[in-house]
Amino acid sequence: MAVYRRPSRTRYVLAVLVLAALTLVTIDARSNGTGLLSDIRSKVSDGFAPLQRGTHAALQPIGNFLTGALDYGSLRHENQTLRNQIVALQQQSVQAAGEEAAAEQVLAEQHLPFVSGIPTVSVEIIDNGSSNFENSVTIDKGTTSGVAVGQPVVAAGGLVGSVQSVSAHTATVILLTDPTFAAGVRLPGANIGTAQGVGRTDPMRVTVDTTNLAAPKVRAGEELVTSGLDFEKFPPNIPVGRIAAESTSPGQAEPDITLAPLVDLEQLSYLQVMMWSPQ
Amino acid sequence: MSPHVLARLRVGLLLFVAILVQTSLASDLRVAEVAPDFMVLITICAGMAGGAEAGAWVGFWAGLATDMFLTSTPLGLSALTYCLVGAAVGALRAGVLQEHRALIPAVAFVATAAAAVLFVALGDVLGQSQLLDAGRSWLIRVALVEALWSTVLSLPVSIVYAWAARGSAGIEQLGPPRGGMISTERLPAR
Repeated sequence: MAVYRRPSRTRYVLAVLVLAALTLVTIDARSNGTGLLSDIRSKVSDGFAPLQRGTHAALQPIGNFLTGALDYGSLRHENQTLRNQIVALQQQSVQAAGEEAAAEQVLAEQHLPFVSGIPTVSVEIIDNGSSNFENSVTIDKGTTSGVAVGQPVVAAGGLVGSVQSVSAHTATVILLTDPTFAAGVRLPGANIGTAQGVGRTDPMRVTVDTTNLAAPKVRAGEELVTSGLDFEKFPPNIPVGRIAAESTSPGQAEPDITLAPLVDLEQLSYLQVMMWSPQ
Repeated sequence: MSPHVLARLRVGLLLFVAILVQTSLASDLRVAEVAPDFMVLITICAGMAGGAEAGAWVGFWAGLATDMFLTSTPLGLSALTYCLVGAAVGALRAGVLQEHRALIPAVAFVATAAAAVLFVALGDVLGQSQLLDAGRSWLIRVALVEALWSTVLSLPVSIVYAWAARGSAGIEQLGPPRGGMISTERLPAR
């Protein structure tokens, strides 16, 4: 085995790099999404967007194929002939089906009932988010199209998330399952709650505010919408999710509520950004 | 142009392609909702092929590239994590680990899992407590599935990395490990 001969230089390099990284973390954490580092991020995001879009389009068939291959276990009960037929048919129809689905999705999102007169911008997802600790997607429009930080993002089923960061030609949308996401929701009996993301695989958690009111009686399957109160981040009546489970522990006033998003976050392609701000 | 400079340019190009693939394809490769992390894998390969210094450098830049596409965590958190992981892998390879055919996949598994845990731990220490909100079970799942992905992809990626970094100081000193790297005889300027 070869022996590495320069431990002191290696330690020096490591120390410098660790200090550089810690400095970046400190500056970025303190700048709260503004400043030089945010500008650099925006510029990189903008510069990368065309490449990302092209690569995403080019690699999507490979991704679809691999996704199918990874789900093989759930299909093993089917016989070999049928699988072969499905693969052959998928290969033939994947492009047509993709285009048809995209067209249907765009059409469906042109008349969202809950948007109620608020202007929207149609956007396409160019990156589904590859981080395992952040539930976000990147969209193909930014400040040049009127997109701004904090704007609500919706799809045909309801709320998808909100704009987290924006550059000239792209924006990052934080999805409602992300732990940093929270939205005020209306509960039965004029109660108000806060729906909070927990993680990619878990339903949202609803915290109930029952000040001066009786605890809300909720049922599984009930749909909750945004409250739209003053200073809320979202306009009222956007469907957020369906109550997946509710239970009240003995001695507890408020029920524990979990909420399953109405929009299938795994199947997002086109979204609508609502040109709305709380002010 | 010197072989060292050429090697750096090739590794830079490899990182560029890797972040492009990471941001375009990785989300389609989710198993149990967990995506692979190509950037940490390249960092591990750099540490294995070039030692602690190469691992630290490549890890820093790979992490910084990753940070550019994250919005919930501060710039530099992935750079810090990957830099430490790359350096640790390189130091272990140079001083502790015995040559073995299964060395690269085994190290890729352990180091990737460690990187996922370290990212969350460092994030928590640096005020990013939301990283823990998804719970321990999610962290364990991410660590395991990412580690499995790295194990599967480690051999081809290590070959590509060794090709890109041929002629660099780290590879000249350490020599690529067995089991997946190109053989030392095929490397120029040893």
